[in-house]
Amino acid sequence: MRRPVLFVSAFALLTSAAVAHHGWGSYDANNPITVAGAIATSKFENPHATITVQASDKIWTVTLAPTSRMNSRGATEKVVAVGQNVSAYGYPSTVQKDEMRAERITVDGKTYEMR
Amino acid sequence: MTEGAPALFVALEQSGFAASIRQSTWLYPAANIGHIVSLTFFAGAIAVMDVRLLGGLAATAPARLLARARSFALAALAGMAMTGAVLFSAEASHLAVNRAFQLKAVLVAAGLANIAIYEFWARRAVERLQPGAPMPPGAKIAGACSLGIWVAVAACGRSIAYF
Repeated sequence: MRRPVLFVSAFALLTSAAVAHHGWGSYDANNPITVAGAIATSKFENPHATITVQASDKIWTVTLAPTSRMNSRGATEKVVAVGQNVSAYGYPSTVQKDEMRAERITVDGKTYEMR
Repeated sequence: MTEGAPALFVALEQSGFAASIRQSTWLYPAANIGHIVSLTFFAGAIAVMDVRLLGGLAATAPARLLARARSFALAALAGMAMTGAVLFSAEASHLAVNRAFQLKAVLVAAGLANIAIYEFWARRAVERLQPGAPMPPGAKIAGACSLGIWVAVAACGRSIAYF
């Protein structure tokens, strides 16, 4: 009887590890950056809201949070609408060029946490 | 949208159906939760079946135990397919080129093939067995493959977020 118990517990262990939360593995947390400028495009969509920001040197794609979290933090669709001036602090992607994931954003003097 | 993804997946992602999934506040997270809940039921049912095929739970009649577990596994598989289709549509172009998703798709096909092979060549012999009777080697192989493949599918599913 011991063998099946072992199988089942190994299975349970592996599947529970598999439902752990997202990591930020493909973002460089050692080199945080701040991207500031006007919002050029805005997608208030799941799984993550995304904006592009016209910074001084180039256009950045800034990945934000799921829409339900954005709303509950007060960072509504209007706050991240096209034309708003935003300052996003976060980590550049190690995979996709000119993309960063925001830890927090500031619009009109108000800061919203994305995590 | 991911550059260079096959046109079919780009079209799916750009469809009104996919857009409405992304624009809904609750649909995507609901599908996400449904997918995981279906997975837990599937994993439980499959583990019972595989352990029985490997010779465990030997006091039970294989036919009855497997039939009961199979109905749970099928319902859960349908749940995963439906919720998975919702999750996939929302990000189709990204997922189509995602290494972890590609491996997952291959493994799902392998898991289904393993089921088909078992049903075709081993099922009848297994279901004639009395409680306590030794399992034929073919059944043991199918059970071991199933356990390994479906655990790997779950691991690949979670890994999609990291690639």
